[in-house]
Amino acid sequence: MLRLLIIKEIRDIVGSTKFAVTFGVCSLLVLLVFIVGARAYHTAVGQHDAAKRENLRRMEGITDWMQVHDMNVYMPPQPLSALVAGVAHDIGRTVTVEGRGELTAHDSRYSDEPMLAVFRQFDLEFLFTVVLSLFAILFAFDAVSGEKERGTLRLTFASPVPRRTFIAGKLLGAYLTLVVSLLLPIAAGSALLIVMGVPMTGDDWVRLTLIIAAGFLYLGVFLSLSVLVSAMTTRSTTSFLVLLVVWIVAVLIVPRAAVLFAGRAVDVPSVDAVAAQKAKFSAGLWGDDRSAMAAFKPSKSGDMQAVMQEFQQMMQKLADDRDRKMREFASRVNEERRNRQDVQEAVAFGLARITPAACFTLAATRLAGTSFEMKQHFLAATERYQKAFGEFMVAKTGMNPGGRMVVLRVVVGDEKKPEPINTAEIPAFSYAPMQVADVAGGTALDILLLLAVNLFFIVGAVAAFLRYDVR
Amino acid sequence: MSQPTFEAVNLTKRYEDGVLALDHVSFEVHPGQIYAMLGANGAGKTTTINIFLNFLEPTEGEARINGVCTHTDPLAAKAQIAYVSENVMLYPAFTAMQNLEYFTRLGGRDHHTKDEYHRVLERVGLQREAHDKRLRGFSKGMRQKCGLAIAILKDAPAIVLDEPTSGLDPQAGYEFTQLLTALRDEGKAILMSTHDIFRAREIASTVGILNRGRLVMQRSAAELGGADLEQLYLEHIAGHAA
Ligand SMILES: Nc1ncnc2c1ncn2[C@@H]1O[C@H](COP(=O)(O)OP(=O)(O)OP(=O)(O)O)[C@@H](O)[C@H]1O
Ligand SMILES: [Mg+2]
Repeated sequence: MLRLLIIKEIRDIVGSTKFAVTFGVCSLLVLLVFIVGARAYHTAVGQHDAAKRENLRRMEGITDWMQVHDMNVYMPPQPLSALVAGVAHDIGRTVTVEGRGELTAHDSRYSDEPMLAVFRQFDLEFLFTVVLSLFAILFAFDAVSGEKERGTLRLTFASPVPRRTFIAGKLLGAYLTLVVSLLLPIAAGSALLIVMGVPMTGDDWVRLTLIIAAGFLYLGVFLSLSVLVSAMTTRSTTSFLVLLVVWIVAVLIVPRAAVLFAGRAVDVPSVDAVAAQKAKFSAGLWGDDRSAMAAFKPSKSGDMQAVMQEFQQMMQKLADDRDRKMREFASRVNEERRNRQDVQEAVAFGLARITPAACFTLAATRLAGTSFEMKQHFLAATERYQKAFGEFMVAKTGMNPGGRMVVLRVVVGDEKKPEPINTAEIPAFSYAPMQVADVAGGTALDILLLLAVNLFFIVGAVAAFLRYDVR
Repeated sequence: MSQPTFEAVNLTKRYEDGVLALDHVSFEVHPGQIYAMLGANGAGKTTTINIFLNFLEPTEGEARINGVCTHTDPLAAKAQIAYVSENVMLYPAFTAMQNLEYFTRLGGRDHHTKDEYHRVLERVGLQREAHDKRLRGFSKGMRQKCGLAIAILKDAPAIVLDEPTSGLDPQAGYEFTQLLTALRDEGKAILMSTHDIFRAREIASTVGILNRGRLVMQRSAAELGGADLEQLYLEHIAGHAA
């Protein structure tokens, strides 16, 4: 009986013009997302390689490591961030590493190409959250009310059909149709990724699969909600209107409202305030050091070379001390800010999670490695790099270039002709994208929430239909 | 006498808004009988049928199919009843054959062959060319025929019809009633509501007249004899209206 109902439901949906149109449009959009993603990836790789080359070109002709002051590192493009952009375009892709000091990321994609920021990205996450969820509603908004309008409900329930079975057939039939009709273009799109030469690793595939699975769970929410609403209304236009309002609130309003509310409710010191605090502290340190420098007295006079060396040693020590103190201070104020920010984020996302749209976005971006934590992850990698770079420079020059000091060198005439430095010796920056193992745990809550909401609506749909007037 | 197939016992229905649509109505329909329910608009005919199909629960009394109460054991009751509505509505995107197959299997009969479906559709007078056409373009008469075909294939001992011939042309109406008598002769119990006094007179084993929810007259064909049913109808309706 259930099979019969499911098959009928699938045939009923697939046979309708509504389906032909939505299926066509969906397939096109899904394919487009993959194509756009693959091209975006290649563009990003091109930009990335060019930036890296440019950075090294700056050092061409330099013959002395002392003249290398800094190194730019760039976030390498990730295939998955081309498909689920998250915050990838908003955060800076470039970090200038000097060997010490605080690191900031600059040159985000959106700041380089503001046009792209106007309508935001067209990616898999947008497609699922906004477009496909609407299509899920289109699939099922008249599941029950439409049959009542068409008058087929009467004849159906003149047969010995348990109501539970009927509604289960509705849910499963619509869900299977939706999943299968979307899996086709998604599979084709995935094949296109390979054809278009996007180097997806095994881990990337696993994460992409999880993202799509989360997407189907999310669509399931709107599907079961649609069936629920259709089982509480007698006219399909009413069902549709109700669902449209719910959709607008859940998809467009609540996530933004939650973030705005958290911004108001939890105070986080602005970046400028923190920077001012640091600048003040830094100025104080400089003042102290200047007096120390002024008070410099060589221990033994006469030997110019030795005096210079002693002076440099003192300067280096001062710089190291200053750097240490600055780092301690900065890490304290940063941590304070970070803590406030954590609270703010917890409030924002906790609130936003009342809508499945936010759950899906959070899960998908986290799986893709483009969640709000991406910036932290990237900066942490650059911190590690800064350490390696600093050590390398110390090995090369005897000092860390990050001190912003005046370097005086006494050139003794009998040196041999200087050789250009070999930039290949500079340690390479490596950025390990998050792996499934890193992100799976963090998405569990969102996946569970999506499952729970599905279950809630399914139970609701059954309960509503048990009381439905089938006349 | 045998167990009645349809049995209404003090059937009473008061809607939520207080309308008393049925007031202690009792009757029986036995195998091989046609019971014709007459009555003005709003007399309670559809309400009675809805209770037999468990679309409504009676406020008082009960409706039974072969002894099974329709609102305490609806699935068992519905397994034994076939229904043709006033305006048969099927899936417009499916062909006649697909609709027939779906509803027949939904009724619990899934052993029929394609040939049998074709044969039944021909029996109810649906042209062979129409069998594989989508329902979308079907006229009312064609849909009523499909509805009857579904009822026949369900092969239930009880058949309930709500004004099945209203809106059919005379020829189609005639053919439809011929089919009903054939089904009666096969031993089915048939309960139908109608406004067609002449046809009721022609085929009914028993005629019941409902007026404002009350069964005001019930006579077998034999009891009616040569009486003028139209006259009786008007008298009963008028008498109670006064
Ligand atoms: N859902 C409902 N809620 C309230 N009252 C109703 C409802 N359905 C029917 N009624 C009332 O119950 C009474 C009987 O209606 P019913 O549909 O059974 O009449 P009927 O004999 O089938 O009429 P018709 O010949 O027009 O089909 C009418 O007064 C009608 O207004
Ligand atoms: Mg009626």
